[in-house]
Amino acid sequence: MADAAISGHDHDRPGFFTRWFMSTNHKDIGILYLFTAGFVGLISVIFTVYMRMELMEPGVQYMCTEGARLTAAAAGECTPDGQMWNVMITGHGVLMMFFVVIPALFGGFGNYFMPLMIGAPDMAFPRLNNLSYWLYVAGTALAFCSVFIDGGAGTGWTFYPPLSTQDVATSRAVDFAIFAIHVSGASSILGSINIITTFLNMRAPGMTMHKVPLFAWSIFVTAWLLLLALPVLAGAITMLLTDRNFGTTFFDVAGGGDPILYQHIFWFFGHPEVYIVVLPAFGVISHVVSTFSKKPIFGYLPMVYALVAIGGLGFVVWAHHMYTVGMTLTQQAYFMVATMVIAVPTGIKIFSWIATMWQGSITFATPMLFAIGFIFLFTFGGVTGIVLSQAGVDRAYHDTYYVVAHFHYVMSLGAVFGIFAAVYYWFTKMSGRAYPEWAGKLHFWTFFIGANLTFFPQHFLGRQGMPRRYIDYPDAFALWNYVSSIGAFISFASFVFFIGLIFWAMRYGRKVTEPAYWGEHADTLEWTLSNPPPEHTFETLPTREMWDRTPGH
Amino acid sequence: MPVQDLTSTHGAPVQTGALSLRDAAPRLHLRLTPHKSLTPEGFVWFIGATSLLIVLPLLSLIGTAVFWALLPFILAALAGIWISLKRSWRDMDIHEELTLWPDLIRIERVTPRKPLQDWEANPYWVRVAIHPHGGPVPQYLTLSGGDRQVELGAFLTPQERLALKDMLERQLRAG
Repeated sequence: MADAAISGHDHDRPGFFTRWFMSTNHKDIGILYLFTAGFVGLISVIFTVYMRMELMEPGVQYMCTEGARLTAAAAGECTPDGQMWNVMITGHGVLMMFFVVIPALFGGFGNYFMPLMIGAPDMAFPRLNNLSYWLYVAGTALAFCSVFIDGGAGTGWTFYPPLSTQDVATSRAVDFAIFAIHVSGASSILGSINIITTFLNMRAPGMTMHKVPLFAWSIFVTAWLLLLALPVLAGAITMLLTDRNFGTTFFDVAGGGDPILYQHIFWFFGHPEVYIVVLPAFGVISHVVSTFSKKPIFGYLPMVYALVAIGGLGFVVWAHHMYTVGMTLTQQAYFMVATMVIAVPTGIKIFSWIATMWQGSITFATPMLFAIGFIFLFTFGGVTGIVLSQAGVDRAYHDTYYVVAHFHYVMSLGAVFGIFAAVYYWFTKMSGRAYPEWAGKLHFWTFFIGANLTFFPQHFLGRQGMPRRYIDYPDAFALWNYVSSIGAFISFASFVFFIGLIFWAMRYGRKVTEPAYWGEHADTLEWTLSNPPPEHTFETLPTREMWDRTPGH
Repeated sequence: MPVQDLTSTHGAPVQTGALSLRDAAPRLHLRLTPHKSLTPEGFVWFIGATSLLIVLPLLSLIGTAVFWALLPFILAALAGIWISLKRSWRDMDIHEELTLWPDLIRIERVTPRKPLQDWEANPYWVRVAIHPHGGPVPQYLTLSGGDRQVELGAFLTPQERLALKDMLERQLRAG
């Protein structure tokens, strides 16, 4: 029998190295994820700024075979370097999809707040959690390698064969990109297994599946999608690797393979991937909207089942990314209708957010501004999604800037506004300090205007027929490309301002001691903890009165 | 329920006149287990739904070489989540069993992958104490007797420990 330990357990605070490099604490690992994702995000955004500089004027001014330039005034001949452009778009896509948004929302906020919301003391497997984080870091390093070695990987983030199986003898960059995705996939799979186990088996007593807060639900559904989709991606890119290096012909027609098959299995992963990116943002937005409308979330159960339905439907619509590869009419009709059906659960979520705000007492604090911005931009991107879902219309829009505008509205603006809403919502909880409200608002307005200025004109460009993935364009597209670039610079400036704001507020922000500093409608379990929370939380299970706001439900 | 009463209601203790009453049915027999939120039914539902969705892409690949290249990854993912959920259950298989006879109280603590821990004392001298603060958990419950002080139900909720203390005191003083 265990001897009693009345004196308590004042174990030593770990040192800096132990705490951050050997961490098994879900909150510390969450913070590590957030900072790493922020750093990779900055690099990835710098790529886009360079791309928008290049696209600002017709002709090629910066990406020259003679060397990359930072000013257009640099003297000398400039031969366009298309490969450099391809490497930039591939790097931006791979980094943003695998190494920025998912680590920030799922790895960062998911790790930090999902266990708190369900009242678990930590993740089910804390050391596995540490392994996930360091695999992610290793994967990031490999992804950077794929940009810089042997001329870089320029296949686009989708790695379609036969393009991606060419030039094996001269460039190892694509192999590095494949390894980067392997390692980050292993990291995400381990992370998702950990999160699923935690969510299923470590909920507080009495917290049934129909009582779990929406953010925890969204993280669980995301983890489940990762678990289902990533093995398929891992298989696909492994076959690509053996096709490249070991002479197999899975995707090589000459050996009896089929490159279209790659597209099918890639998008079987790829479509759930876009929901993986955005679902945690849905969870964040639900909490933010409810908190700042001073009302409980409208339609909790429909919200939960909409999340599950979006996740489930995400697996049966993949071929709408590839209408033009030659499918039968019946196949196209099916994928078109299935895609449009997704608008139903998404609509349930959007109407429920609006109904939550309806007759609420709304405060336009920074997180709420980002949440409303999210709802507006995501709905907008969803509407262009309905347009693109139609196989006939997609013939015209396929691979134009209309598609670029669409997926940046739902993912870049949608998911990133979700990340910023979460940062401002929980910053004081995580750091114990407040950010200056004016600075948050300034960040919101500059980013909102900048992002819309960047991507809205790209609809016009797409409708005019400007194809994506090119370094140059005819003079006819000059006007809206110029406007779009201005927008990108404004967004970048606002992002740099945000980074400065975060570091300033962590050092000099006003200290906040009130646990639920957003008021009584921030009522999930993390708001019962101090700012920042102690090293160990909920070592004793929380009681029902601490989290159940609707008893008898 | 984390506190399970296993005391048999029939078979009341028979006075045999022997020194020990230990062979008789115990007056109180409790099993304390930590809370697990995943039920066996939940496990079946989750694994079932996951298996159904994860084999979906294989349907379109039947008859190709790609099918066989993809299969191991899918099976590995299923095995991963299966083993993890089972492992999480096993990690929580810790339990404490308390048995009380008129002249003996015995507590056993079973921890997975660790030797059994136990404690015995004469209930007449046992003192039950609750420590609202200062222990590793609020409302920390300890029993002193037989030269040792041991904890009980540290993995329960504070309310459950308070209820457990009341029940123990009633039963200890009943004789």
